[in-house]
Amino acid sequence: MVHAAKGIFISCDIPMAQFIINYNASLPQSQKFIIHILDGTHLFVSSNVEGMIRSAIQEFREKNTYEKPA
Amino acid sequence: MGHGENSGRPHKRNKYSSKEDHKAAAFDDEEAYYVEDFNDDDRDGDGEGKKRDFTKLELKPDHANRPLWACADGRIFLETFSPLYKQAYDFLIAIAEPVCRPESMHEYNLTPHSLYAAVSVGLETETIIAVLNKLSKTKLPKEMIEFIHASTANYGKVKLVLKKNRYLVESPFPEARRLVLKRLLSDEVISRARIFNEGGDGFNVSRAIGEIEGTHDELLNEAQLAAVAEEKEAHSFEIDPSQVENVKQRCLPNALNYPMLEEYDFRNDTINPDLEMELKPQAQPRPYQEKSLSKMFGNGRARSGIIVLPCGAGKSLVGVSAACRIKKSCLCLATNAVSVDQWAFQFKLWSNIRDENICRFTSDSKERFRGNAGVVVTTYNMVAFGGKRSEESEKIIEEIRNREWGLLLMDEVHVVPAHMFRKVISITKSHCKLGLTATLVREDERITDLNFLIGPKLYEANWLDLVKGGFIANVQCAEVWCPMTKEFFAEYLKKENSKKKQALYVMNPNKFRACEFLIRFHEQQRGDKIIVFADNLFALTEYAMKLRKPMIYGATSHIERTKILEAFKTSKEVNTVFLSKVGDNSIDIPEANVIIQISSHAGSRRQEAQRLGRILRAKGRLQDRMAGGKEEYNAFFYSLVSTDTQEMYYSTKRQQFLIDQGYSFKVITSLPPSDAGSELSYHRLEDQLSLLGKVLSAGDDKLGLEILEDDTDDIALQKARARRLMGSMSAMSGAKGMVYHEFRTGQKGGFGKSKPKDPAKRHQLFKKRFV
Repeated sequence: MVHAAKGIFISCDIPMAQFIINYNASLPQSQKFIIHILDGTHLFVSSNVEGMIRSAIQEFREKNTYEKPA
Repeated sequence: MGHGENSGRPHKRNKYSSKEDHKAAAFDDEEAYYVEDFNDDDRDGDGEGKKRDFTKLELKPDHANRPLWACADGRIFLETFSPLYKQAYDFLIAIAEPVCRPESMHEYNLTPHSLYAAVSVGLETETIIAVLNKLSKTKLPKEMIEFIHASTANYGKVKLVLKKNRYLVESPFPEARRLVLKRLLSDEVISRARIFNEGGDGFNVSRAIGEIEGTHDELLNEAQLAAVAEEKEAHSFEIDPSQVENVKQRCLPNALNYPMLEEYDFRNDTINPDLEMELKPQAQPRPYQEKSLSKMFGNGRARSGIIVLPCGAGKSLVGVSAACRIKKSCLCLATNAVSVDQWAFQFKLWSNIRDENICRFTSDSKERFRGNAGVVVTTYNMVAFGGKRSEESEKIIEEIRNREWGLLLMDEVHVVPAHMFRKVISITKSHCKLGLTATLVREDERITDLNFLIGPKLYEANWLDLVKGGFIANVQCAEVWCPMTKEFFAEYLKKENSKKKQALYVMNPNKFRACEFLIRFHEQQRGDKIIVFADNLFALTEYAMKLRKPMIYGATSHIERTKILEAFKTSKEVNTVFLSKVGDNSIDIPEANVIIQISSHAGSRRQEAQRLGRILRAKGRLQDRMAGGKEEYNAFFYSLVSTDTQEMYYSTKRQQFLIDQGYSFKVITSLPPSDAGSELSYHRLEDQLSLLGKVLSAGDDKLGLEILEDDTDDIALQKARARRLMGSMSAMSGAKGMVYHEFRTGQKGGFGKSKPKDPAKRHQLFKKRFV
């Protein structure tokens, strides 16, 4: 029996992979999006979450960036 | 064709030259500089847009020769490559606040405080405007002229002079003095404080020596110069010494708005005994030290104020020189016992003061000087301490209280909280106060308090100019980016670890390896002396134990500190020392030339600058250090940062002060090099995991920052932090302890209800109180 699922292949650095995994874990069961963790830097996720992951990462990075007040 | 050209040319040339002549005529007169403005109407547009849009500023025809741009909003930009840079810099630093000073373009800001400082060093309103106009590429905006007039109108019109132990209120300005003094006297508080002498209702008239200001003279025209050099008559009236504080308060901007300048006519002070001390001949003040002293002693009297010099540029020589010029009893205040020892040493090193005339007053050594004048070196805490003292120190404090000090020398003025200053200043009677510091920034923005407590900023040196002159070390600043390992980052992201975030990014194995690599590289390849800074005590001990290096933190005794530092200075075996926050200020380690910062105190700009200051003292031979010398850089400042964590935010914020001084940070990403392998610790995953276990199992209280009592930046930053990043920051904010406490009582008392204790089980001591 062959299972086929459409998804996105994500390639990133080690910390970001951990961030995505942690993000996934924080969601309720019905919204979990990771289909398979391939290795430390590669993930396979459902196809409709790309925008969501991007904006989550964006928000996380902004929190860690200092901007000099004008 | 040829014909057409000939007929065209003369006509064209004619038109051009006539226009030029016309322009030149118009531009000849600086003051009456008039411009044909094509869009005159637009100039009165809305103010907001004008502040950003500078296209309307009119260039003077010889703008290329002038070094600065003046904008209507008070900002001034200075080109450092201009031939007039040196003169312009000296002038600007006297009248404006430096905002940012990178290599080729400086930004300054005119503020009421900076103009107050300008007036207090003897510059007059018209002089400021005239010189500024001379130097500016553009016509001075009228807003700026108005601002200068408004800000300086009342400053410097009255001076408080201590002469022969009488407090005199003095006004040197002929046109205004009668008016100003009369106005002051019409105030009830001041007129009550006035002491009449035989002269009836008239004012005393005295002569003071005119300003000796060499630096800006070449920029003024003859007439102005003559006016400056001329002897000035000053009118004054005497006030009751016990009322001085009240009179000063009445004169502040919120009341009569004639802030007083304080001056001390030490040459004519015959009441206080002189102290025999001279600078030794080998003590040669450097040009910038001379300059800062000349601002202080500009008119033969001593002014109160603050001198800002980078760490390692020789602040102590400035302090000792000032004491030697005044030649009266001097009270020198430092931040801790180690720097008290250093100050006492500096006094003996640079001056010929006799040993019995200098003494230290700390909790460990209570010395008293013999004779009727001398130098006392002590700490702020010793003087301001409110509790009960030993009999011996009570006596010394009493002596300090009763004595009239010629000079109150205050080191590292930026660290002392305002209330402690008030206390110190109210306890000690001093004629003149001199504050020294390297970094006039504070996270709680209370720096302006110093303006009124001590005096205006008299001088501030430019770091990059001192580097170029070879007076301080040329430092390579680098930010080393250490990626978090998989396991550490996974824990970092977990919600339940929010209190351990800091410990996790500090203990990041990649950071540890980078640190170990840098220590090895500098110890073995270059033979450098290294200081490693860590604010986090857990990290400090872990790193120091693992690498087997000595460390100093808050709890280390004075004796042990001295021993470790001595070994670090002299021994070939000890090349690296780990310091906690205690090493930030005034621990003098001239040998060190490498700093590795593994954890730091949130976003404190001042801490970053102070730490850099530990290695700024110039090393090696002068010719090697100058531009084009053998070594381009001779000191290194590494800041290790774990990427993708909060540390990135703080790191950038911390660097702002140094960037404003013109330093640039190089980012290094590949440390340790990938072939370093197993030579360095935590190469194997098991080791990393056991380290992770250690961090996670350690109690929250152990992982926190070291908190020193006298650190106000701490408190300010923690408040700011709690506001900015609420939930996640509770680990580092003061709220941590409270959460922990509630949790404990909740468990013990059973579901939150705490029942009253059984009186029988009470401790002996408390039993008596609960009858």
